[in-house]
Amino acid sequence: MKVLTDPALCVGADLAAWMARGGGEGLSRALAEPASIIPVLEAAGLRGLGGAGFPTHRKWSAVAAQPGPERWIICNGNEDEPGTFKDRFLLAETPHQVIEGALIAAVATGAAQVVLYVNPREAAGVLACHAAVAAWQAHPLAAAVSAAIGQALCLRVVESSGHYIGGEETGAVSSVMGGFPFPRLKPPFPFEQGVNDRPTLINNVETLAHVAHILRHGAAWYRALGLGDAAGTKLYSLSGDVLRPGLHELPMGTPLRELVFVHGGGMLAGKAFKAVFTGGPSNTLLTGADLDVALDFESVRARGSRLGTGAMIVVGEGTSILRKTAEYVAFFAANSCGQCPPCKIGTHQVSRILERLDTGAGRIGDLEALENLSHMLPGSGRCGLVDGAATVLASSLETFRAEYEAALPRG
Amino acid sequence: MSETEPAGTPLRLVFDGHALQARPGVSLLQAWIAAGLPLTENVGCMGQGVCGACRVLVRRPGERIAGTALACEMPAEEGMQVSFIDHFPARRPHAYDLSALTDSWSIPDQIDAVFPEAKHCRHCSGCDRACPKGIPVQRMVNLAAEGQVFAAAELFDACVMCNLCVAACPEHIDPAHLGQFTRRMHAALTLRPADLMQRLRQIEAGEQPIDLDAPGASPPVQT
Amino acid sequence: MTDGGMSGGIGFAAALAAWDAAAPAPARACGLKVADLLRGFHPDHRPGGMVQLVAGPNEGAPCPAQLAALLQSDSLLEDVDLAGATILDADVLVLGGGGAGCVAALAAARAGARVLMATKLRMGDGNTVMAEGGIQAAIGAEDSLQRHFEDTLRAGHFAADKALVAALVGDGPDAIRWLVREGMSFDLADERQRMGGALLRKKPGGATAARLLSYRDFTGLELMRALREAVLLQPGISVLDGHPALELLTDDRGRCGGAALQDLGQRRLVLARAGATIMATGGAGRLHLAGFPTSNHYGATADGLVLAYRAGARLREMDSFQFHPTGIAWPPHLEGTLISEAARSAGARLVNGRGERFVEELAPRDVVASAMLRELAEGRGVGRDGKLGLFLDTPSLEREQPGILAQRLQTLSHLAHRAGFDPAREPFLVRPTLHYQNGGMAIDTDGRSALPGLLAAGEVTGGLHGRNRMMGNALLELVVFGRRAGASAAADARQERPRNLGLNHLAGWRRGLLAAGLGLEAKGPLLFPPYGNVTPQDLRRHAA
Repeated sequence: MKVLTDPALCVGADLAAWMARGGGEGLSRALAEPASIIPVLEAAGLRGLGGAGFPTHRKWSAVAAQPGPERWIICNGNEDEPGTFKDRFLLAETPHQVIEGALIAAVATGAAQVVLYVNPREAAGVLACHAAVAAWQAHPLAAAVSAAIGQALCLRVVESSGHYIGGEETGAVSSVMGGFPFPRLKPPFPFEQGVNDRPTLINNVETLAHVAHILRHGAAWYRALGLGDAAGTKLYSLSGDVLRPGLHELPMGTPLRELVFVHGGGMLAGKAFKAVFTGGPSNTLLTGADLDVALDFESVRARGSRLGTGAMIVVGEGTSILRKTAEYVAFFAANSCGQCPPCKIGTHQVSRILERLDTGAGRIGDLEALENLSHMLPGSGRCGLVDGAATVLASSLETFRAEYEAALPRG
Repeated sequence: MSETEPAGTPLRLVFDGHALQARPGVSLLQAWIAAGLPLTENVGCMGQGVCGACRVLVRRPGERIAGTALACEMPAEEGMQVSFIDHFPARRPHAYDLSALTDSWSIPDQIDAVFPEAKHCRHCSGCDRACPKGIPVQRMVNLAAEGQVFAAAELFDACVMCNLCVAACPEHIDPAHLGQFTRRMHAALTLRPADLMQRLRQIEAGEQPIDLDAPGASPPVQT
Repeated sequence: MTDGGMSGGIGFAAALAAWDAAAPAPARACGLKVADLLRGFHPDHRPGGMVQLVAGPNEGAPCPAQLAALLQSDSLLEDVDLAGATILDADVLVLGGGGAGCVAALAAARAGARVLMATKLRMGDGNTVMAEGGIQAAIGAEDSLQRHFEDTLRAGHFAADKALVAALVGDGPDAIRWLVREGMSFDLADERQRMGGALLRKKPGGATAARLLSYRDFTGLELMRALREAVLLQPGISVLDGHPALELLTDDRGRCGGAALQDLGQRRLVLARAGATIMATGGAGRLHLAGFPTSNHYGATADGLVLAYRAGARLREMDSFQFHPTGIAWPPHLEGTLISEAARSAGARLVNGRGERFVEELAPRDVVASAMLRELAEGRGVGRDGKLGLFLDTPSLEREQPGILAQRLQTLSHLAHRAGFDPAREPFLVRPTLHYQNGGMAIDTDGRSALPGLLAAGEVTGGLHGRNRMMGNALLELVVFGRRAGASAAADARQERPRNLGLNHLAGWRRGLLAAGLGLEAKGPLLFPPYGNVTPQDLRRHAA
């Protein structure tokens, strides 16, 4: 069942059309019973869909419990990692469900400053968001939100700098404050000290998009959408060596095999399935042995990997794991912000070694050097960028060692 | 390379994936050598600390964030994790012709034209943290971008061309090369010693002949 | 690695007490004529240290045994190895990426040649970058080219080639101007007078005038930084790092036409063909002759001498090496590392275990080193943790010239810090360290060797320094002869090209080795010192 990507809801910035299709109902219920918002989300089992899977209600409660009148909400739409293309769809095609979710969050947490934080390189999404936000300014529900929180709601669009690192929570905070999106060490967490050192709720676009639906249809409805213990639906960004790549909204917990072979139409050119780089792509690879895994946070974690953003980059027979890993590590190296030399230089070094292995210039000792780096780099940055790069390196090296060994000089 | 050391408890460390033992007091480079590992790159002056060839990433036990160092200067310590870092040449040359730089009024324009990235410094300080010589690299970049060439040149006095700042810079400013640009410009544009110029004039005028058969050019007669 | 004949010396604590009680140290008369001192104690003269070469152009000449073994070794390559090798063409091939190689490459490229520079390690790595003291050029009003000329000859015991020395000193001032144009800085007598002022001049050991120009105490680093950038930015130069030469290529008339390089990264052979080849591979300190530690760079393994000799180039003064007086003796992890002569130029004294000065510190290096080795041999050295040395009295220097360590002797202070003591309070423990190869390939004033197509510049050459090099003449030599060799090579490359290039010289060479009863088992060049844990054969090994 399609919830977020229901074609009927893809009305762009047209607020009237959104309202005509059931929009505003969730927000109205939230305004009627503000105290029930967070318990409903808890009952629904909504989790952060930007990659971390952190229970949404706990974040909201944490912000709500902070002292002081100034609070912020950042709706994180900076999406920039390879293989992930869900938020840009929501922002461009159906921005109002995202905004309505953010307004419900404002009511629940008492935050008057609501920021749609979008990636400027996704022009369609940026345009739609500006138009959608303009449309909300005069809407009675917006005024009702102001009244409920006792402050004038300030809803606006902030374009990020377009750097990948701007999607990291503390990087986003820095960016909203007008600075370069440098991540910083946590704690303090943004819920304590975010924008202007004030409590700040940061949620991914997809997470907030679910909120209006949950408030409207109830927690039980949302839970029932998922398979097994998992709740709701998930936007899977399917790409790579499949017949039908694209964005697939499926029940949370859909098995990998079903995603690839049913919704994805199977492997491209009938090649055998080899592996999947998941969400980031900064996680441990899933392999043929994992085809039965349910694609939800817990089940994937039980296989030693992470669901991440729900991006599934499928690799088939004939595609080089070494090549793909080299591409992803090169991405991380290029996008490391520079603050932490072991991250910047370490990812560059890994990237160099992978590149030379891949181009037939590998050297004796390269695999040992890569393993060494994969052990010493994790934890070596303010944010998790270097950890992700080290994870995907270590995983591909362990699982597909033969491919690496084949790239070594013989002798 | 001497083997008459008083033996201490050997240190254990991991270097490029090799678990090895080292005598207390030796440098990381000496530990690598003593472990019998092949050394055909990432090595140069072997202890003087001037050639910048032996860049390493080092993490001590209990440290979260690894640091950069020169392996010939950094003493081995118990539990260290070490990784050689390749020499990172600049991706694209910041090309200029020093001899064509004759108009010193245009220095700010020249710097901007050759190193346009310098003004994009995002102030991440990664270059400062990466420099094994403790040079305030970022400050040099900012000074150079403002046209304060000589102040910038002075800050780069201790550079050993390890290029770690080049690897560390997310804006591809290539600080090491910018630093050398300011230093070279400083010398080439302003150093005009009178004594040298005087001697050159004399030589060109034939006033400094060399007599190959002068008495001082042969061994003194032994008595 | 120990050099024989040294007694245990005086214990560190007792020696320190003697130094402290006597400072500033009183001088003790030497009591030996210079010639006797050198004959008795210089490592060149140690009994059994030299053998006679029995094959090659220098047959009959003396040479240290370790070096002779390499010079008279067989090639690592056979004709069949060349089949299928990658081929690169250039006008001028420069072997070596230190100071001489960089200057030569720049000169050749600016003369219009397409230049290929092949280095074993990384462009810029070499002994040049480690040079501390300075560079000589006769620019003082009281000084002259003639004095520089005579000082150089005298310091070299009149064994040098006068024409080469005249070229060296005559180009000196212009070499300094050339370096400034490349962006190298020099110390000034008054730092405020950058235009129209005077360069700071110091008196090198054995000189009759203050002639040593410097940049702090890392002159070589400053020089190399400017040259590195210049080479990187010079159109027409391609640099191949990690490509040591394994053999010269010769044509069917014996002319040199390039070299066979080993690509260390990809483990393959590359044939670099060129109209002219410049040998700029530096010295031999990493052979640790006579068991001495060395101040040299890791790559200083005499590769160029081995290749040139085998191909027919004549060498000279191969039995003469310079031992720098002040290498670090303790702590062990810095053993052999150099303390610049700038310290002695500034006034630091050498003191034995009894608290006595025993030599005029600014005498030529061979004299100072021999005097030091005599102290060690006769039991007046200082022993510490099994290491034997003599004091370099930095505390007295600091007392006499407060602030000098921090301001002018930065490298020295940095080394002391790494050794774990304060040089203003405790003297360094030093002993002679193998520093420089005085001899080398014979060249003419244009940098050409006797082998057509092969030129040379820098430490690999001989004839400029006779049997002892003056401080500051090495940096000068690499600039002067780098420029000369580069220009000559660019001109030579326009001449007739070599034909039927290959390893044509090896058949005759091998016959010569066999005729001399040497066999073909020993292979060369060495490429890396033994503690590099890799042989050239390892590097050549391919999949079956």
